[in-house]
Amino acid sequence: MAKILGIDLGTTNSAMAVAETGEPRILENTEGVRTTPSVVAISKANERLAGLLAKRQAITNPKNTISSVKRLIGRKFTDAEVQRDKAWMPYEIQASASGGVEVKMGDKFYSPEEISSFILAKLKADAEAKLGEKIDEAVITVPAYFDDSQRQATKNAGEIAGLKVRRIINEPTAAALAYGLNKQKNEKIVVYDFGGGTFDISVLEVGDDTVEVRSTGGDTHLGGDDFDKRINEYLVAEYKKQEGIDISKDPLALQRLKEGVERAKHELSTVTETEVNLPYITSDASGPKHFLLKLTRAKLESLVQDYIDQSVKLTGQTVKEAGFALSDINEIILVGGQTRMPAIQEAVKKLFGKEPHKGINPDEVVALGAAVQAGILQGDVKDILLLDVTPLTLSIETMGSVATPMIPKNTTVPTSKSQTFSTAADNQTSVEIHVLQGERPMAVDNRTLARFVLDGIPPSPRGLPQVEVTFDIDANGILNVSAKDKATGKSQSVKIEASTSLSKEEIEKLKNEASAYAAEDMKKKDLADAKNQAETLIYTAEKAVKDAGDKLPAEMKAGITDKIETLKKAIQENLGTEALKSGIAELSAEIQKIGQSVYNKEDADQSGEHDKGDNKGESS
Amino acid sequence: MDEIKQNNDSQNGQPHELTADEKLAACEKQRDEYLAGWQRAKADFINYKRDEARRFEDMIRFANEDLLEELVGVLDSFDLGLAALEKAGPVEKGVYMVRSKLDNVLKQRGLERLPVKAGDKFNPSFSEAIVEAESDQPAGTILEVIEAGYKLHDKVLRPARVKVSKEK
Repeated sequence: MAKILGIDLGTTNSAMAVAETGEPRILENTEGVRTTPSVVAISKANERLAGLLAKRQAITNPKNTISSVKRLIGRKFTDAEVQRDKAWMPYEIQASASGGVEVKMGDKFYSPEEISSFILAKLKADAEAKLGEKIDEAVITVPAYFDDSQRQATKNAGEIAGLKVRRIINEPTAAALAYGLNKQKNEKIVVYDFGGGTFDISVLEVGDDTVEVRSTGGDTHLGGDDFDKRINEYLVAEYKKQEGIDISKDPLALQRLKEGVERAKHELSTVTETEVNLPYITSDASGPKHFLLKLTRAKLESLVQDYIDQSVKLTGQTVKEAGFALSDINEIILVGGQTRMPAIQEAVKKLFGKEPHKGINPDEVVALGAAVQAGILQGDVKDILLLDVTPLTLSIETMGSVATPMIPKNTTVPTSKSQTFSTAADNQTSVEIHVLQGERPMAVDNRTLARFVLDGIPPSPRGLPQVEVTFDIDANGILNVSAKDKATGKSQSVKIEASTSLSKEEIEKLKNEASAYAAEDMKKKDLADAKNQAETLIYTAEKAVKDAGDKLPAEMKAGITDKIETLKKAIQENLGTEALKSGIAELSAEIQKIGQSVYNKEDADQSGEHDKGDNKGESS
Repeated sequence: MDEIKQNNDSQNGQPHELTADEKLAACEKQRDEYLAGWQRAKADFINYKRDEARRFEDMIRFANEDLLEELVGVLDSFDLGLAALEKAGPVEKGVYMVRSKLDNVLKQRGLERLPVKAGDKFNPSFSEAIVEAESDQPAGTILEVIEAGYKLHDKVLRPARVKVSKEK
């Protein structure tokens, strides 16, 4: 089936993704990188380059290297934005015949659509190379504040590149799609997008299969690059103070500093202190000089605090413009690499009083969302093929009152899982199947869905019978549990109608309870596991003693029996997990001697001497 | 007016009751659609598993990518140090041996230096221009390799960072 490419055509960087079996995934470009710089150039060798290659030769060719063309696409030359950007763009910009914008590259003038089409063409070619199939259609994202002219121009860029643009969707909407929030009912969502060069805030309202943009705001010239600049300036100044050298004059030193700063910035997202360590950064009359400065997270945050505060202010304003209170907002999504910074995540959390969604890579989330939309368009998804998941784990109760999972939560249905179980006691002729729903490890803490009994199991030693238990959930959420004795073929089953009937709040509550009780539950489970292990070992030990019969020396038998009693006592008197574990270890050690004794029947005398001698080594 | 069949469920008020043949045809059509859909889903799954296996292989090959990239950064500093030492006088052989050892370890992992050198024509597939300078050399010639570039297996891990000559 022909795939539709989901494209995030960004100001500084672009990314692409496809939906496969419903799941979106990012496609790497031919250079093996997951994002592609939105840069186009005509090189000195008169070759047209796009992406990483174009960026690499930018310094040698600033007049013919076009970047950030998204700031110009679909606009009039007289727009304030265009005039502002014209002042700092190194390439030539002029008005086109129709009052639009044209940029000079090489010896020709191009429209911004054409420039963007070169980027899209590269993405198209790379995607085709990666997937081994032709790509003719795409979904492209644009900022929510783009007007008709800008949207149409973006669509044209796609057409020029040979892509049929099935849909132009808003970037914040794409982000919401990536997180699956489009499936909610009547929710208000804020998308906080802090990219490399721009800061965008969007307030969305989701309901009844539609996503509406209620307001947009931000600062088109505030981004992670500004953060980098601040930090660079600080470090250059600090170094000047320390060494009296201004490294900003040295392009290579500056380049190395830039990279060092980026690395430090990333590290400070996970640790609170790091070093910018650049040996041999420069030299002076006295010899080589090195750059070694500590940077703490606190210092980093203080350097950019005003930017963060500004973003918070703009966010508040935009929410107000939508006519909502901050407390009305149900979900917040973080987009853009800069949002990895803990200070930003904290600021957003503080503003809204809830945790923002950040699980998906913030550099990739928009492209992934575009692919989700592409997936919906390409799949002709029938309602009957929209599959659900089972929200809570389904288990059966096993020895020691433990809940053994059969179908874990969030498994897509319809599905079927089977496991083979056995009896806990000798001559047990029936098993009770206790069907549970919930996340807690102990059976008693979960919800009982059903109980039934399978009998007629031929009397056997414990652990011998094979009872196959199958959990089957059909597309309507109906759970069928069956138990079958493999020996007799006898089976019993039960049908449970509403295993997924809990409300969303109830499900969340149960999940939260599970994590709240996790530590406690862990202890209970450990105890139950230790008890089970102890009981099994006692059974094995007693059987081994019985089977060894006369071959077992009296002393050994006494030793083992003694350990068995100790362990039984630990169980009966509830002496706890530690007592059980040490009892198990000791009994294990004792009964291993039976094996030795039985196998070394001829050397019974020698092994007797070993025991007396109290050393554990072999005779040399 | 259509015939109204004497039927219990004509209470629904359906204007036209399908004949058995029509019902059968509709049913067969639906069956074919479902079967095809099922087969496609199965095929998609098989293909996905195969692609996933390939991606897994790639992941293993490139698992060390981040680590190697960072090590290359350390190697750069080492080379700078070596260059500074050489300026002061002949350098002890042992230091070169350490360098060579490090080189070897990286080579075993598929890391190789890019064969970019001064005098070559600037090629953005392998190099990144970080500074320009006037020179007698024709424009677009690499004047100096400021930082070596490396490739991992067949992928450029880091382009060489170079100084390029510009027109006078």
